[in-house]
Amino acid sequence: MNRAVSVARMQLINKWTFLGIPALIIAASFALTYAIWLIVPNNVETRYSGASQAVVWYFLALGIQSLTYTFPFSQAMSVSRRTFYIGTTGLFAVVALAVSLLYFVLGRIEVATNGWGLNGQLYFLGWAADSPAAVQIMFNFLVMLALYMTGFWFATVYKRWRATGMLVVWILIAVVLVGLMALAGWQGWWPQVGAWFADQTPLSVSGWTALFCAVLGVGSYLTLRRATP
Amino acid sequence: MNTPTPPPVIELTNVTKRYKDTKAVDGVTLRIDGGKIYGLLGRNGAGKTTLMSILTAQDPETSGDVRVFGQHPYENDAVLSRMCFIRESQKYPEDFTPAQAFKAAALFFRNWDQDFADRLAEEFTLPLKRRIKKLSRGQLSAVGVIIGLAARAELTFFDEPYLGLDAVARQIFYDRLVEDYSRHPRTIVLSSHLIDEVANLLEHVLLIDHGRIILDDDAENIRGSAATVTGEESKVAEFTAGRKVLHQDRLGSLASVTLEARLGAADRAKAADLGLELSPVSLQQLVVRKTMTAPAGSAGVEAPAATDPSELEVAP
Repeated sequence: MNRAVSVARMQLINKWTFLGIPALIIAASFALTYAIWLIVPNNVETRYSGASQAVVWYFLALGIQSLTYTFPFSQAMSVSRRTFYIGTTGLFAVVALAVSLLYFVLGRIEVATNGWGLNGQLYFLGWAADSPAAVQIMFNFLVMLALYMTGFWFATVYKRWRATGMLVVWILIAVVLVGLMALAGWQGWWPQVGAWFADQTPLSVSGWTALFCAVLGVGSYLTLRRATP
Repeated sequence: MNTPTPPPVIELTNVTKRYKDTKAVDGVTLRIDGGKIYGLLGRNGAGKTTLMSILTAQDPETSGDVRVFGQHPYENDAVLSRMCFIRESQKYPEDFTPAQAFKAAALFFRNWDQDFADRLAEEFTLPLKRRIKKLSRGQLSAVGVIIGLAARAELTFFDEPYLGLDAVARQIFYDRLVEDYSRHPRTIVLSSHLIDEVANLLEHVLLIDHGRIILDDDAENIRGSAATVTGEESKVAEFTAGRKVLHQDRLGSLASVTLEARLGAADRAKAADLGLELSPVSLQQLVVRKTMTAPAGSAGVEAPAATDPSELEVAP
């Protein structure tokens, strides 16, 4: 376990890549959105912005980089694949949780200040406003974790099977998606599918995302177990 | 501790690593008791790096039994944490500086000596604050050498550590290696092409060819295990009759024949009578001769203990 903590500390030796850039993205996305709201005055209706998503998407890149940059080095540091996996994914789960908490607090400030005094909505999850605070935090956390694990798993597949692996994975994903759509069309399930999506609540979406994260997590670990530096 | 004697540092039983249709390591059975500087010698592609990768669990074996400190090393942090293996083409995290790489090494190697690392960096004139991706090939090798030395792991592998290092830097490496090894005894496995340069450091030699260990002996034993006989052709032939010949050269009526034999006082007297000159064979010469005769199958090579019919197909 100590060595897993050491892996997390190793990932943070160069703070710029894994902490500096996300912090800069958060600050810049807020500053730019705020500037735009100032430039285009409008105090009548709520103005939505998706800029807060920027750092969420960056977790995809974090997943790719944390594997690609440091896995071969961790092997030279005599760290087992399991320990590398636990230390690395554990660290970024903590980072994702920290960002989710920050976003929750910013969302509260946003509401309290009437949208930063400009009637804007950047952090507050309007559609999940009725859910408990924990669900709102959990939702952001799980989305970031899912993107992180997606990046991590793709990078692991590439590390292990190179371009051939990527090709096979993408073809498989496409075949499965097309197959499901064909099945739904053929069986006339589209109305039910639409109804199912409409029925989802913030809590159930979080649940599905958690399941997705778990599948990616197990898949990544099994792929990494036989990867070579 | 129940057992009075610890298990050998390395114990391999019939270990094979197969990549598609080639065997990079082919049925190796090997026991290393440790506490020495071992030379792992062999040509490019002979299987040196693969063997070290298997021992450090960076690459799993296809079959056979691998024991390091008595345990299987794969995914075994208890065993791994006692070893250090910096590859010849080691990759470092993007944007890391040597100072940061050393900081990471300090987290994982419990015997890490930061002062030693700093002194070595100074001797190798390594810029500690420059990004590793901007270092020259020699400086990059220096980073690996410093980690390998300062980690003071119980079992340390150096895989052709001198790539791009100039003669002075290589000498610094050899000197510090021997110095530090005598102060902190441990097991060191040094894989190298520059056999003449490292010959004096090595206490034990492992020669690998086509994935098989063809020589496993004390350096001291090996030094006396071969000799070159030079003189008139017919006299040389008389002397060498019935002995294992590793190599022969002819120039006019002169012949020079390398024998794999331990020559005793009687042999020396006979050679003197025949007017023949005896000269020692350097480790490098011996390795070259043994490797060149090995694929032919018979001359001077003992058959491995476990033979199987498939070994005839390993020639590339």
